[in-house]
Amino acid sequence: MQNVVIAPSVEFVEVFQTSNGAVFQSDKENCWYIDFAGKLARFDYRSLMKLRKAVYAIDIEMILMNSEKTADLEIVFICACDHCYVLNTLQILAIRELIEGTFVMLELNRILHDRVYRLTA
Amino acid sequence: MKDITRVQCLLSTEIEALLNQQIKKEAQSSSAYLAMASWCDSHGFDYSSDYFFKQSEEERMHQMKIFKYVLDMGGNAISPEVTNIQLEFNSFKEVFEEALEAEISVTQSLKNIAANCYKEQDFVTIEFLNWFFKEQREEEYKARRALELFEVIGEEGTGRWEIDKHVNDIEYNSEA
Repeated sequence: MQNVVIAPSVEFVEVFQTSNGAVFQSDKENCWYIDFAGKLARFDYRSLMKLRKAVYAIDIEMILMNSEKTADLEIVFICACDHCYVLNTLQILAIRELIEGTFVMLELNRILHDRVYRLTA
Repeated sequence: MKDITRVQCLLSTEIEALLNQQIKKEAQSSSAYLAMASWCDSHGFDYSSDYFFKQSEEERMHQMKIFKYVLDMGGNAISPEVTNIQLEFNSFKEVFEEALEAEISVTQSLKNIAANCYKEQDFVTIEFLNWFFKEQREEEYKARRALELFEVIGEEGTGRWEIDKHVNDIEYNSEA
């Protein structure tokens, strides 16, 4: 008889999606999965905050104005996190859009929780 | 969908950033006071030097208070880098003028944080900040009173020696 291995079920809720990537939340694991640059990476609260900080810290204007003949690659490395991104300028813009949208949605989720559950008797 | 970000941290990103900025400001004040203590000591104003040592300790204590609050609320407290401390002063009076200016700057910065807290209804942080506002009343009073001594005693003759002797006696006892 053939053995069928079933992958453990992970329930994802989509937080935000663009044409370049998506962010999902796992309520069970209290974390987020980011589908970007060809991989799905897991981020807990601390790492997600660090990722946002790292992405926002990239000086896009400086990269665009840079006329040196070096590759326009930026390495987004987060301490104590298993993942790192090596991104070109377009990908930097794309991940920025993804992260910004994600945090707007998380903020909206907080407002909804307040209004629907926390502030009603 | 669970509200994970709120479960993890009470503070909003903006308030957390402002509090981290304040941690840096307090650290800078502490170092600035230490520089003033050093200047006063090396110019023979030993009582004033003691006064500034005490002030430096207090600012450090303020810094730690905010640092612990940010951590306790689930935020990320950042150990600050302190640079550009003024080490030289043109006169004894200038030291106290700088001290008052630093205290005013701290008060204004705290007011700015509170204003932002009111905007996003972060009453928990406002309650935390109230202790600092009371503290700033004392800090500004002491710094202003020290400068006042330069007016009432005068710097002529043994004036500066008298001022130095009285700086350490300045107290603020208002119970209000």
